[in-house]
Amino acid sequence: MKRRTFVGRAVGGTAGGITSRLASRMASGLASLMTNGAMARAVASGGALSGLAGCTAPGNEALREGGGGREEEGRGGAGPVTLTVLTHYANEPLKSALQGAVDAWNAGAGMGVGVGPGAGGARADADADAETARRRIQVRTTAVAFPDLLTTYMVRQAAGQEPDILHPYCLWTGQLVRAGVLRPAPPEVARQIRRNYSAAAVAGASVDGTLYGYPTEVQTYCLYYNKRLLHAAGIAGPPRTCEELEDAAYRTARRDRHGNTLVQGFGLSRSDDSTVVGQTLALLAARGGRFLTPDGRRTALGSPAGRAVLDLEHRLIERGAADPGVSLFKAFPAGQVAMAINAGWWTASLRNVMGASYREVGVAPVPGRTADDRGTLATGFLMGVNARSKHPQEAWEFLRWLNAAKVPANGSKAGGAVGKPVHGAGRSWQGQSLVTRMSALQVSVGSMTGRADDMRTLLLELAGATSVDPNLRPFLDALHYAAAEPNGPRAQQTKTLLRKNIEEVWTGRTPVDAALRTLSRQVDQELSRPY
Amino acid sequence: MAPAVGDPALPSAPPPAQRPALRRTGRPTSVPRLSPGVPRASRAIRRRQTVIAYLFLAPTLLFFLVFLVLPLLFAALLALSRWTGFDLSDIRPVGMANFADLFAHGSTFLTPILTNTLLYAFGTVVLALCGALVIAHCVNRLRFRGFWRTLYFLPLVTTVVAVGNVWKYMYEPGGLINGVLNGLGLPSLAFLQDPDTALPSVIVVQAWASTGSAILILTAGLTAIPGVYYEAAELDGAGDRTIFWRITLPLLRPSLLFVCLTQFIAGLQSFALINVMTGDGGPGDATNVAALEMYQQAFRYGDWGIAGAAAFVLFLVIAVITALQLWLFRRKDEEA
Amino acid sequence: MSGHRDERARRSGSTPSGNPPTGRRIRLQLGPRLRLRLRNRTPWFSYAIVITGAALTVIPFLDMLMTSFKGPGEYGKLPYRFLPEAFSLTNYRAAIRQLDLPLLFRNSTLATVLITGSTLLTSSLAGYALAKLRFPGRELVFRLVLATMMFPPFLFFIPHFLILVHWPAAGGNDLLGRGGAGLTVSLAALVMPFLVSSFGIFLMRQFMVSIPDEMLEAARIDGAGEFTVWWRIVLPQTKPVAVTLALLTFVSSWNEYIWALLVSTANPRLMTLPVGIQLLQSHLDPDRMVPVMMAGLVLSVLPVLLLFLLLQKHYVRGVMLSGLK
Repeated sequence: MKRRTFVGRAVGGTAGGITSRLASRMASGLASLMTNGAMARAVASGGALSGLAGCTAPGNEALREGGGGREEEGRGGAGPVTLTVLTHYANEPLKSALQGAVDAWNAGAGMGVGVGPGAGGARADADADAETARRRIQVRTTAVAFPDLLTTYMVRQAAGQEPDILHPYCLWTGQLVRAGVLRPAPPEVARQIRRNYSAAAVAGASVDGTLYGYPTEVQTYCLYYNKRLLHAAGIAGPPRTCEELEDAAYRTARRDRHGNTLVQGFGLSRSDDSTVVGQTLALLAARGGRFLTPDGRRTALGSPAGRAVLDLEHRLIERGAADPGVSLFKAFPAGQVAMAINAGWWTASLRNVMGASYREVGVAPVPGRTADDRGTLATGFLMGVNARSKHPQEAWEFLRWLNAAKVPANGSKAGGAVGKPVHGAGRSWQGQSLVTRMSALQVSVGSMTGRADDMRTLLLELAGATSVDPNLRPFLDALHYAAAEPNGPRAQQTKTLLRKNIEEVWTGRTPVDAALRTLSRQVDQELSRPY
Repeated sequence: MAPAVGDPALPSAPPPAQRPALRRTGRPTSVPRLSPGVPRASRAIRRRQTVIAYLFLAPTLLFFLVFLVLPLLFAALLALSRWTGFDLSDIRPVGMANFADLFAHGSTFLTPILTNTLLYAFGTVVLALCGALVIAHCVNRLRFRGFWRTLYFLPLVTTVVAVGNVWKYMYEPGGLINGVLNGLGLPSLAFLQDPDTALPSVIVVQAWASTGSAILILTAGLTAIPGVYYEAAELDGAGDRTIFWRITLPLLRPSLLFVCLTQFIAGLQSFALINVMTGDGGPGDATNVAALEMYQQAFRYGDWGIAGAAAFVLFLVIAVITALQLWLFRRKDEEA
Repeated sequence: MSGHRDERARRSGSTPSGNPPTGRRIRLQLGPRLRLRLRNRTPWFSYAIVITGAALTVIPFLDMLMTSFKGPGEYGKLPYRFLPEAFSLTNYRAAIRQLDLPLLFRNSTLATVLITGSTLLTSSLAGYALAKLRFPGRELVFRLVLATMMFPPFLFFIPHFLILVHWPAAGGNDLLGRGGAGLTVSLAALVMPFLVSSFGIFLMRQFMVSIPDEMLEAARIDGAGEFTVWWRIVLPQTKPVAVTLALLTFVSSWNEYIWALLVSTANPRLMTLPVGIQLLQSHLDPDRMVPVMMAGLVLSVLPVLLLFLLLQKHYVRGVMLSGLK
């Protein structure tokens, strides 16, 4: 565990949490007024709607938070504030990408340079103030592997060592909200998110209509296929229907004389939730089925679509075209799997692991019953603020900088998300496309963001650029038709139950019908328990 | 304790040879000798000794209070409450609702989790005990007993992380065991991935890891059996097998009982190995056991009430099984 | 004892033609160890079983060692090979680079030493009081100590965590234990629940009971206080059992995993070696990390293995004593 310590520059006369835009509007004298927090409190009580996160001021693209805090303890006047972020970006390239952005924030990079329309004297002063404000808020990231993330959030919260900013999987939003871990987004943040993000992204980050943070990435599920293996089996292109998929799986599978799998036609893998449940739910959605009823209270997997999907998986395994005992994460990059369904983030990982042979990887929509059926699963992550954070304003301030403020898109190519800030929000500035730092970060590592505008900018306008993977296109298209994973307070448990029962079918221990019955009994019991 | 208080100083100490035997009963019969001629001083001395004794015991008793009594009360409170684990004032009492949920229709706690737990403990004990009995029996006839014991002891001094991971990767398709199987012309097995073999695979590892201590205790037990019995049996013309079943085994009963009890209890509550080898108790619930479920409910799902109730149920199971085993062995003792 | 003589004695003892009375006389003249051998009619069978068992015990360790030397991409390749193609140290370098070894070793060592020291101290104090002092409530306390051994540790797992988190006036907590991180901010979290060992107390008490009272009495008459008696007379005599207890405690603390996992989930700065190594494993690219993990495991297992080999007699005795409960 490397511990980075950032020594913030203690600056008197400025409150934390003033953004460049706010600073540019305010006379520099105003800042000193806010030092004692009096104004902040005045604004806070005025904007009492926000309730938890303090106040917001009207703004266009950027959210203003009042300086000063309601919890004055721990702020120590002008002393530096350290925000902690706990994320699962523990592996490259995500780790460096996020750290790059955080380092830029901590260094106050790009501030005070005067980039932007009408950079002038007064603005430069204000930028300088903002920079000092920024330097007062230092951000420290820690990361744990994704399988440990939920436990880490829960244990740290229970141990009073909670991070200020969480970056949880959307599936857990319900649980974290019911447990009082996540703080609702201030109304302005929520408005802004609803306006700019795709419906599945917003749904994943909300519980009962309340938003709890910025969706940082949205993962849709598509079919990965190995062009070389399909070609070798005499198959021209990726399957467009379930029948074609099944046929292609049988034709590509190969085993050695001991029964060891050499090539799986279709990679059903019990490596983790995403490969077990994600695959199944994506296939289900492509056939128009769903896991829970719309009210989230009962299972709906007993539908014909659910049955068909489980039957398909069972057949694939029984006839040796799939081997759940082999880890998809190592078999597919090794060229031992012809097809598999997984989320968009995997493109980056595959590119990393496979090197030159990544050329063999293609991506297509999840096949449904007919070639025209479209449907898949969308999962995602959100960045929210801990209900126990002592510095909620500062935390939202940082999140806004990371997720909402726009920077030139091509800045993202060179320095990750360390783009220069741009005043005056718009789609472009001086002919350059503008995107948020988070969008730039996600796309730079081959992942996707839930911001439809940024995705268009980054993937379509920059289509010629070599840094963008064409394999991301199907995932982007899927944003329009994908359905969000249910995220009620017991979503992780029900997902685990689903996974266990799918595995029961995969291993042939339980017939599909019995597994479906058991599943609905178990899930319904779990959902009926009060939290 | 009460009689000891008012006792006059014993006129004379018991002969030294008898003393240890008396002490071992645990009764406070061993009285530090006080000079017999000073009865008046004895009370003051005794009072001083009481104070000193409790001073000596203070760290222990304090520890028991904080880390034993308090946790017990807390565990009971949790089992009867609903709580997310973050704020002590949020604990909401719900009576027996957690227990009802554990055993509700559709709950996975009874089957497969609790049955897995019992199977795991039972399988471990049977394997480790049989293996240890055979090996201890054989080792006792060989030279360099210490050397063999050292070898068998290695797993015992190794961290569960090493044991679990080494075996986990030996079970993998590219690992040692499948390598051997393939070398013999047999097909590979997906040990930990197949729910039919996953639990037995983990049981083998737990047994492997605990055989060492069982061997040690059993060899000690075997050495303690008086040779006279064997001579008498051989005189009567008893065969090896008869001697083993009629003499070795019955006389080994205390050691066997001890190994049985401790390993069964350890098996019922162990989940470190499973946590290392299969993570969350997969595939499906195939290797999920009660203690792991407790851990996950509390620390992953923030459902501390259910976790507390699961802990209590497991505790009850352990208590019942311990009592049952003690009773069973005692009854056999009486029959014999 | 020479093997040849044993062998001859065994053969003569088992000749079916020998008449019983003579046989008996012969046997009675032999020592007890020889007598054990006389019963053995098939020593090679025993050897076979013991050697097979030993091989089964040792092979996983050898596999761990061999895997730790395997080069990149070598693990997981079919067909399986026991020996690495070339003994490479890259995995060790990778393990050392990826693990914060100074932190892990520091935490593991400190926690182990603290727990062992505290266990020795409290066990010998309490053991002495229970064995050699006479006071009301002694029987009750002894029963309590025995009873605590019956409680399964997992029952205390959750409450211990909560007690440490809500420890009053520690780690930013108020006097009611609210608002902060309690003792989970410090190494105390790793150590506290293991400071006292009921088994240690039991072991010490049983051992101290056999120390003759006369020795203590003589010291008392010479004016020594109980503390001096404990320190000067009793402790030196308990050395053998203390070494055993220390070794048992040391090994189990060094290897402790589940509690350390929980504590280091709450506070990664308290991570111990087993937890650190377990976290090396990558769910995205497992095969690449396996040899590195094995290298880390070899590094972490070595110290305790060496200690065990050096002091195994004491350890063996400890386990045997635990069987005498």
